[in-house]
Amino acid sequence: MFDKTPRWSRREWLQRSATGFGWLALTDMLARAAEAEQTSRSPLAPRPPHFPARAKRVIFLFMHGGPSQVDTFDYKPRLSADTGKPLPFSKPRVVSSATGNLLRSPFAFKQHGQSGAWVSELFPHLAQCVDELCFIKSMHGSNSRHGGALLELHTGSDTFVRPSMGSWISYGLGTENRDLPAFITICPTLTHGGVNNYSSAFLPAVYQATPLGNAGTPSRQVTIPFVKGTTPREQQRLELDLLADLDRERSVAVGKDAAMEGRIQSFEMAFRMQSAAPAVQDLAKETAATKRLYGLDDPVTENFGRQCLMARRFAEAGVRFVQCTHSYKWDQHENLKRDHTRNAREVDRPIAGLLTDLKQRGLLKETLVLWGGEFGRTPVAQGKDGRDHNPHGFTMFLAGGGIKPGLSYGATDDYGYFATENKVHFHDLHATILHLLGLDHTKLTYRHAGRDFRLTDIHGEVVRAILS
Amino acid sequence: MNHTRTGPNVYLLAGTVFATLASVTLAAPPDESVFFEKKVRPILADRCFACHGSEKQKGGLRVDSRPALLTGGDRGAAINLRQPASSLLLRALNHGEDLKMPPRNKLPAVEIAVIKEWLLRGAPWPATRPVTSPVPKNHERSFTAAEKAFWAFQPVKRPVVPTVPRPGFPIRNPIDNFILAKLGTTGLKPAAEAEKRTLFRRVTLDLTGLPPTPEETETFLNDPSPRAYENWVEHLLASPAYGEKWGRRWLDVARYADSNGMDENLAYTNAWRYRDWVIRSFNADKPYDEFVREQLAGDLLPGKTETERADHLTATGFLVIGPKMLAEDDPVKMRMDIIDEQLDTLGQVFMGLTLGCARCHDHKFDPITMADYYGLAGILYSTRTMKNYSVVATWNERPIGTPSTLVALAEQEKRVVALRAEIAAIAKEAKATTAATLTKERQRAAEYLAAAVEIARRRRPLKPLVSDLDRKLPTGAVQVESEAFARGNVLRLTDGYGAGIGVIINAGPLPNYAEYDVKIATAGTYQLVVRYAAAESRPVQIMANGQLIAREGCGSRTGSWNPDTQMWAAEGILTLPAGKTVLRFEREGPFPHLDKFALLPMTPEQAARAPLSVAQVATERRLLASALGEWVEVIAKRQGRLPTDEERHRIATAADGPFRITPTAEKETQSRYREQLHRLRAALAALEKTRPPVEEVMAVEDGKGETLRIHLRGNHLTLGAEAPRRFPRILGGDKPLSLGTDRSGRRELAEWLTQPDHPLTARVMVNRLWAGHFGAGLVRSPDNFGRLGERPTHPELLDWLAAEFVQAKWSIKHLHRLIVTSTVYRLGSQADPAALATDPENRLLSHYNRRRLDAEEIRDGMLAVAGLLDRKSGGSLLTVGPRQYVTGTGNRNYEGYAHPRRSVYLPVIRSALYDVFQTLDFPDPSVPSGQRTATTVPGQALMTLNSPLADQTAEAFARSLLAHKGTEKDRVHEAYRRAFGRAPNTRELDRVLAYLTKSQEHADPRLASQARQLQAWRGLCRVLLGSNEFVFVE
Repeated sequence: MFDKTPRWSRREWLQRSATGFGWLALTDMLARAAEAEQTSRSPLAPRPPHFPARAKRVIFLFMHGGPSQVDTFDYKPRLSADTGKPLPFSKPRVVSSATGNLLRSPFAFKQHGQSGAWVSELFPHLAQCVDELCFIKSMHGSNSRHGGALLELHTGSDTFVRPSMGSWISYGLGTENRDLPAFITICPTLTHGGVNNYSSAFLPAVYQATPLGNAGTPSRQVTIPFVKGTTPREQQRLELDLLADLDRERSVAVGKDAAMEGRIQSFEMAFRMQSAAPAVQDLAKETAATKRLYGLDDPVTENFGRQCLMARRFAEAGVRFVQCTHSYKWDQHENLKRDHTRNAREVDRPIAGLLTDLKQRGLLKETLVLWGGEFGRTPVAQGKDGRDHNPHGFTMFLAGGGIKPGLSYGATDDYGYFATENKVHFHDLHATILHLLGLDHTKLTYRHAGRDFRLTDIHGEVVRAILS
Repeated sequence: MNHTRTGPNVYLLAGTVFATLASVTLAAPPDESVFFEKKVRPILADRCFACHGSEKQKGGLRVDSRPALLTGGDRGAAINLRQPASSLLLRALNHGEDLKMPPRNKLPAVEIAVIKEWLLRGAPWPATRPVTSPVPKNHERSFTAAEKAFWAFQPVKRPVVPTVPRPGFPIRNPIDNFILAKLGTTGLKPAAEAEKRTLFRRVTLDLTGLPPTPEETETFLNDPSPRAYENWVEHLLASPAYGEKWGRRWLDVARYADSNGMDENLAYTNAWRYRDWVIRSFNADKPYDEFVREQLAGDLLPGKTETERADHLTATGFLVIGPKMLAEDDPVKMRMDIIDEQLDTLGQVFMGLTLGCARCHDHKFDPITMADYYGLAGILYSTRTMKNYSVVATWNERPIGTPSTLVALAEQEKRVVALRAEIAAIAKEAKATTAATLTKERQRAAEYLAAAVEIARRRRPLKPLVSDLDRKLPTGAVQVESEAFARGNVLRLTDGYGAGIGVIINAGPLPNYAEYDVKIATAGTYQLVVRYAAAESRPVQIMANGQLIAREGCGSRTGSWNPDTQMWAAEGILTLPAGKTVLRFEREGPFPHLDKFALLPMTPEQAARAPLSVAQVATERRLLASALGEWVEVIAKRQGRLPTDEERHRIATAADGPFRITPTAEKETQSRYREQLHRLRAALAALEKTRPPVEEVMAVEDGKGETLRIHLRGNHLTLGAEAPRRFPRILGGDKPLSLGTDRSGRRELAEWLTQPDHPLTARVMVNRLWAGHFGAGLVRSPDNFGRLGERPTHPELLDWLAAEFVQAKWSIKHLHRLIVTSTVYRLGSQADPAALATDPENRLLSHYNRRRLDAEEIRDGMLAVAGLLDRKSGGSLLTVGPRQYVTGTGNRNYEGYAHPRRSVYLPVIRSALYDVFQTLDFPDPSVPSGQRTATTVPGQALMTLNSPLADQTAEAFARSLLAHKGTEKDRVHEAYRRAFGRAPNTRELDRVLAYLTKSQEHADPRLASQARQLQAWRGLCRVLLGSNEFVFVE
């Protein structure tokens, strides 16, 4: 009864895009039309990197609150020896809270693996994976508050709303799975910058993260927004068929238009997404052994374990950037011993499980795994059993695609307060991540409000020493 | 090594001479030469020369010669010969806060030590060739001819309207002449005019953001008047919906939001007043120049009425509603960041200039220097935007209201300030008394020592004389129940905490006190014992006949507040005359639960052995109990070793000695002020509660006029030259503003911006209006008129519109009228193929740009067609209180969007935008956005299929259609009429009817037939409201 819209030439498509405002996202739909030459124009279609990539995607395990470097991976014997004594050099000019004298770590450290990496007793499972990891012990940022530090870590700016690194990466590389978003953040925090930490800011909206739930949602319940509705599937099919026919009739009346045609196709894609996304999230098909590996069998590790397992499944399905958040638990101004123990227990097995699983599936070599918080903590005490924020020297680790495994890079001073050797700023970390993905951080730019913006602003140097 | 001892002075002198006579070269003695060449130079060469040598001079600094170091770079001298240890060079090497060199790796400590030693020696540098090239200096650059000639900085000249010989379409106003003249030169043909019905829907949505009702459409189509269209335009411009649509456009640009949205996302509960002011201003067609002036300097403008003055204040909310970091440990950085946000916003909003680019360096593309930036920043620095810069900081709000409430408020505030001052003065006097008393008492150190020695010698814990007081009191003892106080302000309690025994507890008024008149039959020495219960330590002061017995009596914890943990404790030794004794218990805070007390007579032997109370000894000997207590501690610590005279003197005069100012000493010496202060503080608290209720708006006010210095690389720790307050030089000329400390310069800025001949203000605004109607501006980068922005497609038209705008007294509605009544605006959206081929972006406007509706238009349209839209205007829908967190850890996320009001009234929560808006390309409310975009992503389709909004509107629409009388066919007609303002064609009708049948056939058989029918119609309504015809404007 209804004419199907005739196939158009590429030239026609380009002409019909008219003002161009709808063009970017619209072309995503065209990609589905399997017009090979169009594919390259989709904002989310895979895009070639600037140079051969070492990693195809990123999984970021974010420890919100600021885990203490001197209680986890940055072993400082002098801190133990001098505990209770005053810090023999000046504290930073700007601090978050008043602190006292040096405070030894309540946790025992041991060396592990071939690499001999120091790991505290907090991470017994992760300690078995140290030969896969590259620790950067000289991380530093510039903001001593959670909000500023989170934004700096995620967007490179603690001053303005800027696109998140996940958005930049989606913008640079697109996604490999057209039925899924390019950038997914699982249980993100709503505080300390909240959405600004994963928003696309001035980049087109297609590059913003799709949040699954938030920090308050158990990971077992999280879904893509609006992916579930109340209409029975069969009825929805009938509605979509009607919609497509009425829209095509409209096209007959007012003429062909790329934006309108793109919209027709977007409904088909949405219909597919409704089954594709939940399928990736469905962990039922995973074996009992895998579930155990991630700690799904233990109520303590189940929540973060599920996040990590979902992250692997999204990574496998071609999502470019997946973030898991262990939300705002690591802020031990007091009760350091009790709460760091609890926090580490919640994530240790899931993270070790993720690394092991990625490795055995051959995914680790093309997946970059990043672990860390927005800052570290002071080696000096806050109260009796606490540490204050410390953006001046802390530890993060990377593993997987293009990273030199079993390496410990950079160092802090004798007490672990300030990064002193081979310092790595957030900007350098960003530059390095982009580099591993085949992107030159100085060339990945977007013109907005009269200038070309970069993730690294005017800063950043690739930390070549940690590349394999 | 003798020479090294004398060396520094010699070189210091030489260095000073050198600094003044730069041509002299210092010749270092041979051993200095060796030290330098062997140790110092290699470090400088290896570590520094690469960036600070002959090749590069980062930060304007060279370190390859002594003069270069003395001259320094942008931050000033690198070495300081007067205070070598505080040299910038050394600070940088030590990785100080402001500068870290080398940036990545701190030098080994030994190398830093070498440089330090070298500096301490006077930084001798063996004679080599002198430096020739001067170190770069920071000065304001001059502009090139091309920069000065850039189109956007040229004055607007009203161009002659071109004549078009054979137009080919009706010329209705000069807009048509300009567009057609340009189109004519390309040989392209304009599209045919749009159908009446299409045009009607277009102009209605464009001016009000709402689709026309079917009745309005029918009335219009049947109106035979030749001016039917123009009349309808007037009707639309006069409707409140106009301000709701176009006010929202301004709010895009003003980055309006109801929450802060950065690190700490607090509710702006008064932001809506600015929003409503914007909507009212558009509806009232407030002249744009006034509109601008009020937003920048409304607080400084005169107002005829109270309402007008309140509006003026409200308008300055523009400067306050931006996103800010509120938890920043560095208050100076916070302040400069807030100013930067304001500057960047106002530059883009009013002038299309990206001023923010000049914060760290001169603008890379436009003639905007750092001096321009800090000149403007000084104006905002002299403006109060924030109440404070603490963590979490507070933005400025100001009261608005009727004259009487404002006067009452001012009166009240004045009294608060006066009372605070009075309190402060008394507190100061009291403090001075303490200091003076302690100084005086210090002369009596020997007496204190003697008393302290005696007390220390007899010191042992005080225990009740009798162990089983509950059973039997010794003869001659006097026992008093606590409830039997003669005077007091505490509560007698005989149940609960006092069950069975009766106790006294806090009744509210502080300090707690209870006074007893006790009859003493026999004069003598008594031990005071008290029975009480306390779960926490609440020490009380005990006095007998005005003499202090115990400063901190009854201070033990007994385990609970309940009678079962009541216990006896000895609290002091008293020597009492026969007759009446007044015993007083007092505490600043609440009492422990006192049950009773007793006075136990002591034998002379017991009295002689009894420990001495500090309080009592102090009273007897007229010493300060607080200081004596300190002396006792000092003596006790010496374990019997008596101090010599010299030691005593040292102890008495030590800063941390017994005569230092302690809280107890203050309390003791300030007793005569205590009651007065207490009374005044209570009065202050009461007064503060009487604050008259007033409404507040987010608003700025003038502070002290100050000049900023240029912040090198944008860093507030490294300041350069002064930047007097002024406007950007390329536009404002070289003449500096003569602004004193009495004003910020904001009013001057507002006046300057709205001068009729300002090259940018009118151009930028008419371009925004144009873009709002045609989907793209004549300058397609509406927020950037600089070099990186786009050039105007029709520069003459832009200037004609700008000139017309100013001439029509900056009337925005006049501009709308001109635009929508032009023929260009009425063209159809069907492009000529030739036009599409040569002008795919339609820069020449040969046809109308079909556009997708904005987020608000889609939502409002769905609600309107479904009959759910609430057209009430104004007011706040926020569901949270002032400064409450709208997003936060865990599941705190703002969700108060379920309201059928027009979208413009829904809260705009940064970081937690309404998900429907987020999906439909609502602009980021953290930055000015002059251009809406329309992407097509599957999330939008999911929203149409599954969102509560879609469900709700489809359901309501379906129910109202099912209530419509007639056949199913009639109802389909009605559905089309309401959704699209037209009848379905036969193919559409057949297709819809087929769907309705099929949907009901395939429905869940367990559903009743009515439910199946509703489900089918709900599906149809969802389809119509989600269709291309509904969401696109032709």
